[in-house]
Amino acid sequence: MKPLTRSRRSLISAQGLVGFLILWEVSLRAGLLPGSLVPLPSSIPGVLWAELIDGIWFEVVLSSLSHYSVGVALGSLLGISVGVAAALVPRFDALHAWLARLLRPIPPLAWIPFAIIWFGVNPSAAAFIISIGVFWINYFASYSAVRAVDPGYNEVAIAFGQGHFLARLTKVSLPAAAPGILGGLRAGLGQGWMTVVAAELFGIPGIGQRMMEASGLLATDIVVVYMLTIAGLYALFDFIFMAIQRRILRWQP
Amino acid sequence: MATVSVAAPAVLHARDISLGFGDDTILAGVDLEVRPQEFVAVVGASGVGKSTLLRALTGLLPPQRGEVEIPRGEATDTRAWSMVFQAPRLFPWRRVRANVELGLEGLALSRAERRRRALEPLALVGLEEFAERWPSTLSGGQQQRVGIARALAVKPKVLFMDEPFSALDAITRRHLQGELADLRQRTEAAIVFVTHDIEEAVLLADRVMVLGGKRGDTPAGVIDVVEVDLPLTARREHAEFANRVQAIEHLIGPGPAAAAT
Ligand SMILES: Nc1ncnc2c1ncn2[C@@H]1O[C@H](COP(=O)(O)OP(=O)(O)OP(=O)(O)O)[C@@H](O)[C@H]1O
Ligand SMILES: [Mg+2]
Repeated sequence: MKPLTRSRRSLISAQGLVGFLILWEVSLRAGLLPGSLVPLPSSIPGVLWAELIDGIWFEVVLSSLSHYSVGVALGSLLGISVGVAAALVPRFDALHAWLARLLRPIPPLAWIPFAIIWFGVNPSAAAFIISIGVFWINYFASYSAVRAVDPGYNEVAIAFGQGHFLARLTKVSLPAAAPGILGGLRAGLGQGWMTVVAAELFGIPGIGQRMMEASGLLATDIVVVYMLTIAGLYALFDFIFMAIQRRILRWQP
Repeated sequence: MATVSVAAPAVLHARDISLGFGDDTILAGVDLEVRPQEFVAVVGASGVGKSTLLRALTGLLPPQRGEVEIPRGEATDTRAWSMVFQAPRLFPWRRVRANVELGLEGLALSRAERRRRALEPLALVGLEEFAERWPSTLSGGQQQRVGIARALAVKPKVLFMDEPFSALDAITRRHLQGELADLRQRTEAAIVFVTHDIEEAVLLADRVMVLGGKRGDTPAGVIDVVEVDLPLTARREHAEFANRVQAIEHLIGPGPAAAAT
């Protein structure tokens, strides 16, 4: 089949989305779907507006953003540092290999009991839980990216007097592994949003808590407003990240 | 070159070195002494250990036996040796000029001097106007020339070149061989040049070291060192050229492919 032009592709995608919304709206109005379980799409903008002028929207989004950013920053930084170190220092790799294998399958949310015991029910606990998922993604991405660097580059570095550890780290390992490391960072940005909501479900103020409140009142429209809020924030962060990534990797053909 | 005095101290000494991987020795008993500005070619069949020999001479892979000495000298703005690899191995994340500057980083040079020292050899290989390009936008031959510029930038006493032209098409190879023949009269460096192309060796070198003689478990070694002793200009057209090539071909013998049948 013929490939589509870019604008044509966007047009069809927009049609698909609008078609879905119309189908949804019509099914509800026709009584095919129960109105108590699913909100009307056309009611969403009004509800969003109400949340906005109430100030609730800003309050919960800011609160979520604050643990999100702390958790993602911490998890990424640690994940990349440990992953790169493990890939470069065989002794360190061996030292923590079994420990990593033991801890890695534990889902971030399984840390909630400890998070509460260590930090209490407060934003630090949420940031801690978010950082765990983000850590593993960045750890594995940067570990395998650095391991995959062509050893020939290291030989070049040594041949041209850049053989000591720090020079090789900054002049070979990090730039050569940058595509993989950035891929991990990006996946971590997404993973962070997944845990942010879950981490807030146990009472830390933020988007997740607001959604739980709303679902208790069967206010499905408010739930959808925050689902869309997360989607929108994710898209925004991803867009900004991609712009930065393109700049960093502009050497790629 | 004829102008080099025999008394000049060697820029590379290798005494009875053996090299290989693990317990496996692939090349043994190599002696090599290189004088300033001398051009030594190393020829031998594929897999005989030519690349490994260069890695042993430079310490990239320490030899199993014997010693190599490349006197460091006093200078703080040059390096004792540098290398042109079999593949260009440019850093794709650095622009061409930054690639050439790699070996200059850490030397006693200001930023401006470093820049000048990078542009000089780039001009020499005819790529000055490509200085701000990314390597991925260069052709294979151009990349190889950047690799040569990178090695020249550090003004080495010894320049190692590992089949620098073998991956190139015949036309580009001819062209770069000409450039190198030219270049060797304009650089201070002695050159140790690995190739499996005997004509190329005779065309460029003062001496040709012939490797071979591996039988079963006995490692390969130096079969002979042949003095080329022909004028550099129009060497290919010289009456003796073909004879020199033939003599070396004879030394190497029919090669493993013929021996196996
Ligand atoms: N890292 C390695 N580990 C084990 N053996 C190796 C390694 N690198 C090369 N060898 C072996 O050492 C021998 C010499 O290899 P080398 O690359 O030096 O050959 P070469 O003469 O440069 O060949 P070519 O002309 O094909 O480049 C070969 O038999 C090869 O299989
Ligand atoms: Mg080789």
